[in-house]
Amino acid sequence: MPMVLISNLWYLGLAALNTVGISAASVVLSAVLGLVVALLHVFGGLAARLFVELYLYIVRGVPLLVLLFTMYYVLPYAGVALGAVEGGILVLGLYFGAFMSEAFRAAILSLPKAQWDAARGLGMRRWLMLRIVIFPQALRIALPPFVNICLMLIKSTSLVSIIGIWELTAAGREVTERTFAAFQIFGGVALIYFCICYSLAQLSRRLEERFRYVH
Amino acid sequence: MSFDLSFVRRNLPVFFEGMVVTLELAVLAIVISLVCGLVVTILRLWGPAPLRWLAAAYVELVRNTPVLVQIYFIYFGLAVAGVRVTGFGSALIALAAQNGGYMAEIYRAGIQSISIKQIESAKALGMRLPTILSIVVLPQAFRRVIPPIGNQSILILKDTSIAATVAVAEMTQVGKMLTERTAAAYEVFFTLALLYLALCTLVAALFRLLERRLAFPA
Repeated sequence: MPMVLISNLWYLGLAALNTVGISAASVVLSAVLGLVVALLHVFGGLAARLFVELYLYIVRGVPLLVLLFTMYYVLPYAGVALGAVEGGILVLGLYFGAFMSEAFRAAILSLPKAQWDAARGLGMRRWLMLRIVIFPQALRIALPPFVNICLMLIKSTSLVSIIGIWELTAAGREVTERTFAAFQIFGGVALIYFCICYSLAQLSRRLEERFRYVH
Repeated sequence: MSFDLSFVRRNLPVFFEGMVVTLELAVLAIVISLVCGLVVTILRLWGPAPLRWLAAAYVELVRNTPVLVQIYFIYFGLAVAGVRVTGFGSALIALAAQNGGYMAEIYRAGIQSISIKQIESAKALGMRLPTILSIVVLPQAFRRVIPPIGNQSILILKDTSIAATVAVAEMTQVGKMLTERTAAAYEVFFTLALLYLALCTLVAALFRLLERRLAFPA
């Protein structure tokens, strides 16, 4: 019987709440950022597009852990006092914002050109066109990749344990150092992550069914 | 605080030592996950029922748990069980296992993207499954999966940095140790980011080249 796991389940559960909180904050931040970046990428001028390309290039080519370490080691030298949790959420948001923006941009660009032309033909301004023609369709298309990115993000929150944030993985290490039951504890930790991610994936499958347009 | 370029130049050999380990880990993980993904895909699509379920469960399990937790599970778990696995070994196993799951999904999507009409036509011509696969489905699917495999390979390369958590002396760990010893945080992390960018750009270029080389003549 995995007695050690059972007796520490409450503690791991509390830590899992932290993981969920950090994930939720980062998802919101990265989704907002991703939407802004996607709009800049599609509609922005040359300077905005170059800036966005640079941002995407950096995030695609630098590991999240290196960005987290950069925040952790470099910001204090730069004189910026940012709490570990705020910093972790900021880095996660910046990193996954790039993935989100790609998903949103692909969805916006996947709409047939006739939709844009028809909206413009009806005399709509850009914002109105986006709000009532483009977004309602594009966001449905973007839902599956959005959820995939959320799953990547949730798994990646385990990395913030390395810069000293207390969440599920950090709690797993603490309990392991106390009990030496690494198999049980990390097996349990993996199972909790699995439950969070798998249930989110199932939920999104439900939502996809519900939101699907009848063609 | 100013940027000390001579520090970077002095320590470049140290970074390169780390880069060798990063590349070793990345290449091994990519190759093993490609093979592992292939086996899983074959089992999942054409295996007998229990193996099919097992393959599906494997894919769900490795894709829905963080690679860091998998590394800890192997590194600390096996140590407690009396099996000594090095940091490099546990990082390699975890990266290969997780990305084997991702590669399996990529292969499956590639194979299933081949129109069913082609398979039916091949059947109508009297071909059997192995022939259909080898001369109709796989040559096309193989070309379609190269771009996503390239993307996944870049993710693997970036994820090798996580091996730093179990004291593997790869690039990130080297950089972290340098920072702790010299407090030259700007220089170290700027260099580290540039080196990773260069490596990822190189991998992306290699896969684009491969894609162009293998493309069917239009």
